[in-house]
Amino acid sequence: MRPLSSNLRLLHGVWTFVKQKTSKRETSVEKYILEMRDITKTFPGVKALDKVSFAVKQGEVHGLVGENGAGKSTLMKVLNGVLVPDSGTIMVDGVPMTFRNAKQAQACGISLIYQEFNLVNTLSVAENIYLGFLQTGRAKFIDWRRVRADAVHLLENLGFDFNVREKVQNLSVAEKQLVEIAKALSVNARIIAMDEPTSSLTQKEIDKLFSIIRRLKERGITIIYISHKLDEVMAICDSITVLRDGHIIDTKIANETSSAEIISKMVGRPVDMKYPRRPPIIHGEVVLEVRKVSCAGFVKDISFSLKKGEVLGIAGLVGSGRTELVEAIFGARPLQGGDVYIHGRRTSIRNTADGKRYSMGLVTEDRKETGLALHYSLADNIVITNLQKLCSGIFVNKKLMQTNVDQYVQELGIKTPSSRQAVMYLSGGNQQKAVLAKWLFSEVEILILDEPTRGIDVGAKYEIYLLMNELVKKGKSIIMISSELPEVLGMSDRVIVINEGRKKGELCGDAISPEAVMSMAIQ
Amino acid sequence: MSLKPGIHNFRTKIIKILRSQGVLIGLVLIIIVASILERSFLTASNLLNILRQASALGILCLGVTFVMMTGGMDLSVGSTVSLCAVVAVSMMNKYGQGTASNSAALLAILTVLAIAFFIGVTNGFLIVLFNGRLGETFIITYGMQIVVAALALLFTGGQFIAGTFGTGLYQWMSSGFVPIILFLSLAMIMHIVLAYTPFGRQISFIGANMDCARMSGIKVSGIRILVYGICGMCAALTSIIVTSRVYSASPLQGNGYELDAIAAVMVGGTSQTGGTGGIINTILGVLVLGVLGNALNVIGVDANAQLLFRGAIILVAVGLDMWNKSISLKESAK
Repeated sequence: MRPLSSNLRLLHGVWTFVKQKTSKRETSVEKYILEMRDITKTFPGVKALDKVSFAVKQGEVHGLVGENGAGKSTLMKVLNGVLVPDSGTIMVDGVPMTFRNAKQAQACGISLIYQEFNLVNTLSVAENIYLGFLQTGRAKFIDWRRVRADAVHLLENLGFDFNVREKVQNLSVAEKQLVEIAKALSVNARIIAMDEPTSSLTQKEIDKLFSIIRRLKERGITIIYISHKLDEVMAICDSITVLRDGHIIDTKIANETSSAEIISKMVGRPVDMKYPRRPPIIHGEVVLEVRKVSCAGFVKDISFSLKKGEVLGIAGLVGSGRTELVEAIFGARPLQGGDVYIHGRRTSIRNTADGKRYSMGLVTEDRKETGLALHYSLADNIVITNLQKLCSGIFVNKKLMQTNVDQYVQELGIKTPSSRQAVMYLSGGNQQKAVLAKWLFSEVEILILDEPTRGIDVGAKYEIYLLMNELVKKGKSIIMISSELPEVLGMSDRVIVINEGRKKGELCGDAISPEAVMSMAIQ
Repeated sequence: MSLKPGIHNFRTKIIKILRSQGVLIGLVLIIIVASILERSFLTASNLLNILRQASALGILCLGVTFVMMTGGMDLSVGSTVSLCAVVAVSMMNKYGQGTASNSAALLAILTVLAIAFFIGVTNGFLIVLFNGRLGETFIITYGMQIVVAALALLFTGGQFIAGTFGTGLYQWMSSGFVPIILFLSLAMIMHIVLAYTPFGRQISFIGANMDCARMSGIKVSGIRILVYGICGMCAALTSIIVTSRVYSASPLQGNGYELDAIAAVMVGGTSQTGGTGGIINTILGVLVLGVLGNALNVIGVDANAQLLFRGAIILVAVGLDMWNKSISLKESAK
């Protein structure tokens, strides 16, 4: 319970101190603000980190990249005291430290901003920033005026502009991120680690975040930036460290390397192409036709068709109605108007069971919430879409189930010790493959993929693209929604662009260009 | 890559067994302690007695297990037992004199099964209408509990109904091994349904992740409604056995049954958030509470003090369940 004004003074003090230090050091040998030496961390059965040495210079933005399961999160948890390493030392400003919990790391100026925020939605911005350090007045009551004033001061200092009385639940994801940053700075963070900070931000918000990161950097604050999105890492980071399988592979100065080099270090093999080519295999037959479909508040009068063997991309910003459109077609949302034709026949789809009956499958955008039952086994998750297929008589035949599951595990290359493994223990890429396996097992003809590669690593992404090509080759049709423009462009035969619930255009062949799509998506 | 050898490995093994087989171990411990303290506990007649007493509540627990597997709760089963009890006994009193007793019993049983199924389906329908989660199922079935309790009281004018019907099928329902066989065979059927049929797998999956189940093309609403209906029918069967044994019915017959049933199901290890557990767990849970009650009686523990043990064992079971969950959370946290 430190008084806040002194807290701020201290913060200011630290900055000036840090500035002096850096200016002094300019002539001398570069020193590391943070050094982690020979960190080893073992979990039962897995060596998550194997003698990892990682050093960060004062005031730089240091990118940490690697595939899922490479050990990035473990390394960061060791850094901020959530996990205690088996061996190895952490040195801050050249002084060895041992962190037993996050509080000790925080006291040392290290803050970690998680992908899932640690904010209390029902409390105000000011309360969230100073949670646990709320300023009390004379009678041990909280001095709200002072708390708010401090929060305003802190946010102004950072160049953020929002109402500190606002409840966090009313903020956008980007604003929540800013609150997290402010919270870190309120406890005098000198090193801020950000885990996938842009995973749910729009391009505009990303630009804003970057300008804030640059401002923090000017103030001598060191940033460790963990991300899958390589172009962002290349854009913002001064140096980049690549982790693979619990080992440090290399550390590079950002402008002395290329994304291709970083990717090949991440996956351990050269990557020649980002998107695998496929010969045109579209058949003339229209499998799905959507006519003037509307869905309350989200989608208005959208029509399109899908041919056999085609990949149709749906582009548009987050919140443009893309997800609602496909959910309505699949039966997860009531249709307000319009018709859906499958193989030329008019359908009435009232629920997801109907959608499945018409041979559609939807891979939802959030695999953890709506794609998988996390504590159920891989096998149970895969077969749930079509238990009838496994029945002999009225009973589920476990043997048949096993052979079927094994087949899909092998076909999709799902890495798991056994099909009895609970899916929560699988990596993101393998979880995504499991969701795909559900619908392949159900033998649907029309696969709708909503953000099929969100939050998975480069290697797994490539495997999913290959799989998509394999599927259209077999005569299936795919609708793919993605926020990553290059992915939509790289994988689709045809693209429709949605903006504010309306179809803004349709692009085909050579007409598909990033400029054309973007101008339709934001006009 | 290696696990720590020796003592550590041994310990994790023990913990693993404790985690998965805790209820069974508890049951065996209670039996051992009780038979050491009192010889008459471990006799065939006493064990049969335990089973007979546990069967009526056990059948109710089977229905509640289905509901809890979907991640729901049914508080209305207690008053459903009451309503079915007064309806069945008054039907028997009216139509079941002398030789007509057997056909009247059949009629009464079918009637209360239908009534209870209707109550359950209504529960399910309301819950589905509001797309209810655990919290909503709680409050909706609580409302239903009050409504049905009122119906039972109105039906008899608040009066206790003494049995005046002839012996026969109705009385047979609680004689000898009948309730035990009824309970165990129903348990077996429901276990097979839950574990080996598509319907049962879908029930569990709904409990594991309802949104995911819906997005997987499962008819979530229909299954949920049916499950509450099944639960209601189990309550009807329980009411038949209970009233058959006591040869009377009270509009308060099933008071508190819902909580006893939920406790037994949870002690067995079916989680109230759904998706984990099952019928075998519930049989164990019913037996633990049944054996404990009987053991305390046989040993001669004061009735009020017995409640202490009962409460404690429920708390221990819930504590174990939470401990179990926190361990699996830690395992997944890496």
